[in-house]
Amino acid sequence: MDPAQLARASFFVLPLFLLGLLVIPGNRWLRVILSVIAALAVTWLLGTTLRPGVFTFVASFSTMAMIYAILSLGLNSQWGMSGHVNFGIAAFFSVGAFTSALVTKTMPEGVLATYSQQAFGLGLPFLVGVLAAGVVSAVLGWLVAIPVLRLRTDFLAIATLGIAEIVRLIFQNERWLANGPQPLSSIPKPWNCLANQPQPCWWEPAWLRDWLSPLTARDYSFVNFLIVAVMLAAVYLLLERISNSPWGRMQRAIRDEEQSAAMSGKPVTYYRIQSFVIGSFIMGVGGAIYAHHTTTIDYSHFMPLYATFIIWVMLMLGGSGNNKGAILGAFIIWAVWSLTDVMIDWMAPALRLISNDLPSRGAYLRWMLVAIMLAAIVLYRPQGILKERKRVSDFMPRGRKGG
Amino acid sequence: MTNENATIAAGPDAGPPAQERVSKEGAVGNNRRPLYLAILAVFVLFWVLGLWAGKSTTTLLNLTVEGIMLGGILALGSMGLTLVYGVLKFANFAHGDLMTIGAFVAFALMQVLPGSEAIASFSFGWGLLVAMVLAAPVVAAVALAVDFLLFRPLRRRGASVVLFTMASLAAMFFLRSVIYLIWGADYHFFYPGRANPAMHLPFGITLQADKIFIFVLALVVVGAVWILLERTRMGKAMRATANNPDLAQVRGINTERVIQWTWIIGGSMAAAGGVMYGLASQLRPEMGFVLLLPLFAGTILGGIGSPLGALVGALIIGIAFQLSSGFIDPTYGPGVAFLLMILVLIIRPQGMFTMGGD
Amino acid sequence: MPLLEVDGITAGYGDSEILHNVSMRVEPGEIVSIIGPNGAGKSTLMKAVFGLLHPKSGTIRFDGHDISRLEPYQIVERGMCYVPQVANVFTELTVEENLEMGAFLLREGTLDERKGRIYDLFPRLKERRRQRAGKMSGGERQMVAMGAALMLDPKLVLMDEPSAGLSPVMVEMIFERIEEINRNDGPAMLIVEQNARLSLKMSDRGYVLAAGENRFEGTGPGLLNDPEVGRLYLGG
Repeated sequence: MDPAQLARASFFVLPLFLLGLLVIPGNRWLRVILSVIAALAVTWLLGTTLRPGVFTFVASFSTMAMIYAILSLGLNSQWGMSGHVNFGIAAFFSVGAFTSALVTKTMPEGVLATYSQQAFGLGLPFLVGVLAAGVVSAVLGWLVAIPVLRLRTDFLAIATLGIAEIVRLIFQNERWLANGPQPLSSIPKPWNCLANQPQPCWWEPAWLRDWLSPLTARDYSFVNFLIVAVMLAAVYLLLERISNSPWGRMQRAIRDEEQSAAMSGKPVTYYRIQSFVIGSFIMGVGGAIYAHHTTTIDYSHFMPLYATFIIWVMLMLGGSGNNKGAILGAFIIWAVWSLTDVMIDWMAPALRLISNDLPSRGAYLRWMLVAIMLAAIVLYRPQGILKERKRVSDFMPRGRKGG
Repeated sequence: MTNENATIAAGPDAGPPAQERVSKEGAVGNNRRPLYLAILAVFVLFWVLGLWAGKSTTTLLNLTVEGIMLGGILALGSMGLTLVYGVLKFANFAHGDLMTIGAFVAFALMQVLPGSEAIASFSFGWGLLVAMVLAAPVVAAVALAVDFLLFRPLRRRGASVVLFTMASLAAMFFLRSVIYLIWGADYHFFYPGRANPAMHLPFGITLQADKIFIFVLALVVVGAVWILLERTRMGKAMRATANNPDLAQVRGINTERVIQWTWIIGGSMAAAGGVMYGLASQLRPEMGFVLLLPLFAGTILGGIGSPLGALVGALIIGIAFQLSSGFIDPTYGPGVAFLLMILVLIIRPQGMFTMGGD
Repeated sequence: MPLLEVDGITAGYGDSEILHNVSMRVEPGEIVSIIGPNGAGKSTLMKAVFGLLHPKSGTIRFDGHDISRLEPYQIVERGMCYVPQVANVFTELTVEENLEMGAFLLREGTLDERKGRIYDLFPRLKERRRQRAGKMSGGERQMVAMGAALMLDPKLVLMDEPSAGLSPVMVEMIFERIEEINRNDGPAMLIVEQNARLSLKMSDRGYVLAAGENRFEGTGPGLLNDPEVGRLYLGG
């Protein structure tokens, strides 16, 4: 591999190592060793076999899949753990994205100010933006949860859908807030300096600076890839810890048998709100990461199909109640979605045979595909690929809900 | 091996069974009065805010009347939705798109049907009415097909309400994608470029004749449905099935047949509602989704399973929707409807009326 | 030939087995009681007979035909009606509409005549016929439920714990009515009852079920006077 490719590939090592820890079974030390070996091997393989263009595609594809994985994990802590049907994921997703954007951008000046308006611009670092995004989304989640969580399942679904619509309308119409309906752009790329934009980072030691020196602006995708992977790992670990705690068991008990959980004296509503708020926090974080990945956002990025329902398909396919399932589902569905994008271009000549208008409407074939996939999952495998891991005693009967 | 047909969409989160709701209703029946007062208070508030925002009383009056007319359109959709919700026990998210299909099918038919000259002071011709009548069975057929492919297998399995909701979502996206693929994302008009002057009525009210027709049609349809439910054998069977699906089976009622009739009636009404909405505004593929929240709001506010409730709920939502544009940006209309629904749910979770209509 | 013949059925919900190899029969025009302690499977047996539950093994024959795999509405068509223990009326419908729903499967138009007969049997229902069933007392609802079950002139009526939740006066009235219905070529009745004494008193025959299995069988008076049955199941 040439030095540029080597530099790019090196960003894959840590994420692959984390992936190995996630999927390789066995005891701790075995997993660590195998993961290190696998990570290095796969990285070498990717670096030597993939052309730079394809390599970059793999990085950005995986990045989006991981962002969606974070969102799915957020949904899992609401739906999978507690049985909340949240059809308003888009609200928390978008609020997180816009919050982080506004917190990390600076106010536009001069000529730019006539084109782009925003309510505030604090110019704070990326991590502050992400945290702020999570917190604001969590607050929104809390405000929503109080009146709405007590409603019946289907009412809850309608209510959350309504809230998402209101949020979208706000971002669409209020120019002063986030430039709606125009896009809010120039969202800063975190650690752009690692790709030498505009200069290497001030904190880089000499050897690292040399190692990364061949990277150009186009290679930022790899830096982003690493950042998102680390954040996904953090979210995953957090959720696993929560799931396995007594608090987590309580959530599942409430989900499965609300009556008896209430009778055991714990404050049911309080617990249910907590899980909803945690999920909202994570969705906000996902939104923030999304904003910094795409660097330009507007309300149309958060339409119900691909900001709420596709995430439901991901979680249901991967396995409700299972955090690994959330990640798996995200990758599979994102792959299908991206693949159909390509396929529709191939199919254009065939489509034109049916009707001249059809190729331009090809995007809607993806809608149809998502719909069919969702229907298939509901009909044939509602519990998803990875089953929820039984965490209570094996002598207890399974809960009635199959996911 | 359990008899899978014995439960329709029952499950841990199916909500309290119908019988339980009776006693709960008795206990909280008295907070219907606070509900009426609350809604009245909201309307008064909207008027005050409108005046404060500088609108004249005539304008506000016109908005209220427009709201009533919009309520008529919503009622056509809400009633179908409430019947389906009551008998099948889940919220059909695809209902809005059934309305869209009705509108677009009528649009397609009108391209080949004669009778496009306007009748009297209306803007539409006989062609539209014929198209609407022809579109109804098409939508009914679509609804039956979706039920057969998606909901019936779930019923046989005794699936939980959540799965039905998910399935209806899938149906929603599928139907919408079909509309996009056939007609594209553009807006269409039943009568492009045709002038539609408003009539001048007393009290400074200006209203297009079309809207009055739509409202009257809605009332007629509501009346017809009421007669159906109260006076016919199948209608009573529908109410019985909605009230207690297990007992309906026990009494020998063929609940699958009842369900089919529910879809036929609900789908036909959705078609009519879609055509009317297309006439009153324009045809676009998202029109069903745009209407979905107000439809749900009206249905839930009025009380699930009650056609009278659907009408009253739809009217209230329609008025709130239009009246609120007196003091905030009209695009937030759906938001207003939705917040009103939340308010109602907090005061009286079962809505205004029960299935019995009292 | 017995009207109803249950032959060695095993049945339960999901994977569980509640009934093990249970058999019983009802002859035309008989009143048969099924008694036994809580959890014995009496309600399960009734549900299996009526098709709300399909047996895993064994057969159920009604009027000579195997009904083990039929749906409830098909069984109703053949002349068997069921009065459930709870949720046995349509609360949102009036008394009259409840009766009409009982006769949903009626082909020919004798609806009014049949309603008239039910009103003769239960005069109180006639007074209240336009009232919503949900607003009536437990005893009145039981009358509505029974009336609805009789609308189709069934050959066999299944009753699941008719006395449950009723005052003693109401219970007596209900059982009097049961006897009256059965008299003079009336339908056969299969009654599952907690109040074993009352039920056995007016039954032609009875079965005692315990832990999902047949325990005793005999005539009504016979079981009533059997000391062992009395000690174990009739409360002494």
